[in-house]
Amino acid sequence: MAILALRDIVKKYRMGDSIVTALDHLSITVEDGEFVTVSGTSGCGKTTLLNIAAGLERPTKGEVRFRNVALNKLKEKDLVLFRRKFMGFVFQGYNLLPALTALENVALPLVFAGIARKERLARAMQALELVGLADRCRHKPMEMSGGQQQRVSIARALVNRPKIIFADEPTGNLDTRTSAEIVAHLKEAAKRDRQTVVLVTHDSNIAGIADRIIYMSDGRLVDE
Amino acid sequence: MKANDLLVLANRNLWRRKGRTILTVLGMTIGTVSVIVLFSLGIGLAEWQRVSMEQWGSLNIITVSQAFFYPGMPEEERDKLRLLNEQAVSEIEAMPGVLGVAPAFTVGGEARKGRERGYLQLIGIEPGKMALMEFEPKAGRLLHDEDRYNVVAGAHVINNFMQLGRPGPAAVIGPPAGRDSLELLDQRLVLTLQNARGQKRRYTLNVVGILGPQFAERAHSVYAPLSLLREMHNFINQGAQPAQVHLVEPVNRQRDQAAGLQRVRRRERLELQYSFASVRTKSVEYTKQLGEELRQMGYQAHSIADQLEGIEQGTRTVQAVLGGIGAISLLVATIGIINTMVMSIYERTREIAVIKVLGASFSDIRGLFLTEAALIGLLGGILGLVCSFLLSLLINIYAGAAIGAGAMGPEAPPVRISVIPLWLTVFALAFSTTIGLIAGLYPATRAMRLDPVTAMRHY
Ligand SMILES: Nc1ncnc2c1ncn2[C@@H]1O[C@H](COP(=O)(O)OP(=O)(O)O)[C@@H](O)[C@H]1O
Ligand SMILES: [Mg+2]
Repeated sequence: MAILALRDIVKKYRMGDSIVTALDHLSITVEDGEFVTVSGTSGCGKTTLLNIAAGLERPTKGEVRFRNVALNKLKEKDLVLFRRKFMGFVFQGYNLLPALTALENVALPLVFAGIARKERLARAMQALELVGLADRCRHKPMEMSGGQQQRVSIARALVNRPKIIFADEPTGNLDTRTSAEIVAHLKEAAKRDRQTVVLVTHDSNIAGIADRIIYMSDGRLVDE
Repeated sequence: MKANDLLVLANRNLWRRKGRTILTVLGMTIGTVSVIVLFSLGIGLAEWQRVSMEQWGSLNIITVSQAFFYPGMPEEERDKLRLLNEQAVSEIEAMPGVLGVAPAFTVGGEARKGRERGYLQLIGIEPGKMALMEFEPKAGRLLHDEDRYNVVAGAHVINNFMQLGRPGPAAVIGPPAGRDSLELLDQRLVLTLQNARGQKRRYTLNVVGILGPQFAERAHSVYAPLSLLREMHNFINQGAQPAQVHLVEPVNRQRDQAAGLQRVRRRERLELQYSFASVRTKSVEYTKQLGEELRQMGYQAHSIADQLEGIEQGTRTVQAVLGGIGAISLLVATIGIINTMVMSIYERTREIAVIKVLGASFSDIRGLFLTEAALIGLLGGILGLVCSFLLSLLINIYAGAAIGAGAMGPEAPPVRISVIPLWLTVFALAFSTTIGLIAGLYPATRAMRLDPVTAMRHY
């Protein structure tokens, strides 16, 4: 069963007087539990694709169906609920909050979901254990290496037990070995809980462990 | 997002930029201090004026007397003139806000006390009404119903008496000559009255009480039972054309001027008219209102509260000016908070986008920034309150002592020129928090509208 279906998506941006077409009649279906990577040259529209699939941006044209709900038609209020409940995010720049400890950062999505302190800290601790950083739970992001920070952010993406995880170049700032480790963590966790992963990467090694690799160019699919 | 999580997170964010937050809080502190202290000066001023007024007389008592007729008085005013008689007293007693009316006669005359001689201003009052009229003895007692020739003397009456043979003013005006008022207690005063027929009558009065220092306007009078004064009045008026005749029916035509007094209707002439009546009211507000009503009815009425009105008007103006000055510094502080919050949002654009992606709703974001701004306001308010109390204390110690000494002599207690009542404390905290909230409104709305996509794009 398809968890995510993008149908004939067009996304155009206005840049001053000119119009940029970031996605050009693009259609993708992602199956439940699938591990999909998206590759392509810089500026080909990968981030835009992820944003639209996650409901962070609305397509100019076309339809986004997530678990058979048309995300492009939902109100902001409902999109927030969808994100809290079903989605996890990993960013290229880690994007941890500098004021919070690793544990608090991981627990943050649960704060917004209104989960009580005791429970959310316990769940955050579990997620940290999953990425092997339980001993660093009291550290602030500034006190950790890039790889560790990204592992914390993976724990954060897992903490609300999402159905789908969107990761935009999560290893873009890391060396090859650390990158491989991180993606292995992600894949292991996802496979165990039958979570779907859509991961954008340049790295062909990483793309190699995917169930399916999608190549993009100029806002279109070129190959699968 | 739960309220306590919101508070914790907002507080955490606030202290990431300690220096800036402290400076902003300080701005708010100064704003709050200026509002509170300036307000407290206004309140202190009003309270001090009230206290000084109350030393002169009660704010709850109106003195009512018959209005004077004067030649050339407009007809409609003349028609309104009223007699202060038994009927009038019961009419006034029935007015709302009146606790009681004590009609009074006054008689003045020469009195002897042993070898001393002095002028006595004698006022008759129903003994049972003295307590209601806020008489307080500092020695001895007030009058009882059985008293006939017993009297109570004001604190300065003693200064009216001089050794025989020595010339001197009858009544002392200005600072008292400083004799101990208790000297008069249990003394006999012999008052001699003379009527129009030239007959003399002697009254021996026994001083059973001395009034306390409150109500300076009573200090020079001696208070006797009303029944005694009525008797004295009757004696004095024997054979006289009543002095008040022209009050009863005013002269209005030229040809009546000489014979005017004869035009008095007999019924009215014989009717008992009091010298004045004291009206005890429920509160200052009633005093002001009733004073106005009594004047409308055609009596003369005056009370300390009448002067209070004018003074309060002035005080309110002063308060408004002081409050306005405080409001300006508060406005500056408010702009400071807005500035800090807007800067903070610029710095945290990415962070805001991230938490939006992670599931923070519009109201979470707005709540977060509003809470931060309100916390700045509240902290400024609390700090401002503490500083205000200290400042108020200093003002009272230094400026208050100087003003007290200047107004009431060197031994006067220091005046509390700056007064911070509880309501001002509560108001200041609520107000500074509200200011913070208002200041946070615009930045919070901006934060709320930020595009979450910012988090995903890596620049
Ligand atoms: N907010 C925007 N305004 C204008 N153009 C944009 C905006 N976001 C993306 N683009 C353009 O859309 C295209 C695709 O961008 P993006 O999806 O970020 O590419 P990728 O992630 O593959 O590098 C690029 O040409 C980029 O310049
Ligand atoms: Mg990108």
